[in-house]
Amino acid sequence: MKKFLLSFTIIAAGFALQAQDLAQDQNPNYKTSMEKYKTMQPDLQSTMNTTVHNTYKAYDWTTAKAERKTARRNERREDRLYNQRYYDNYYNNNYYGGPHPYYGRRW
Amino acid sequence: MKHIFTCAFASAFLIFSSCSHKVSRIDPAETPDINGSWNNTDSRLTAEEMINESLSGKWLTDHLQAKGKRPVVIVGFVSNKSHEHIEAETFMKDLERSFLSTEKVGLVQSGKKREEMRSEKSDQQSNSTVNTMKKFGLEKGADYILQGSVNSIVDAYKRKKTATYQIDLELTNIETNEVVWIGDKKIAKYVKN
Repeated sequence: MKKFLLSFTIIAAGFALQAQDLAQDQNPNYKTSMEKYKTMQPDLQSTMNTTVHNTYKAYDWTTAKAERKTARRNERREDRLYNQRYYDNYYNNNYYGGPHPYYGRRW
Repeated sequence: MKHIFTCAFASAFLIFSSCSHKVSRIDPAETPDINGSWNNTDSRLTAEEMINESLSGKWLTDHLQAKGKRPVVIVGFVSNKSHEHIEAETFMKDLERSFLSTEKVGLVQSGKKREEMRSEKSDQQSNSTVNTMKKFGLEKGADYILQGSVNSIVDAYKRKKTATYQIDLELTNIETNEVVWIGDKKIAKYVKN
């Protein structure tokens, strides 16, 4: 009987302590979530007081036109460079080596 | 000969004056629209609207009645989901300043500034005198978190374009997860190039 009373008192005291720890209507399993977010805290708080940019590219006729123009210009430039390199190699690497005596350097 | 010199001088003057770079100061409250992008005027209009809405909101009186003291707010992140680079700090700082100047809402530091502040406090534990050393664990806990988003809708055809920006800010009770206030500002623009 004594043992029963002792164990009952211990269990009751444990419940009372737990109840004291909890606020009114607080979920008794709150520690599960608390422990989970404690580990994630540095990552989640890194964006605080900042602007997180997830911007998208909207179609704009004038911008698109300018981009097409730049792309065309770059393509032509690359073509020019490629052709220049090709002709340079073709004319400069003649049988005797060195620049071609007649065609010289093409720009 | 004299005419040639005059013409040469005049043409040189015209060429150099047209190429000169000119900078002048303007009133920040009257920033003109250049290409229709988000600018200082939009940021100012957003700040004004948000300040009026937040400080006259019911959440403030509700909190004062329930707790008997002014609410403390921490600033979270603002997500920019628009088509432009919009730095929300420009209007968020105006809003924070109004919280402090009206003394209706308290603010606590967040983000990198808070990290720096804690780092300084940590440094003080070993380098400052005992009398001036600041203690850990005495920071004020915020009641609400302020978060927001910026969205935009663009409609364009040839040289005509409309852009609508929607800026939303919301205050959430940190303990109960309850959203107590949402402020929004819509800005619509028509641009013809």
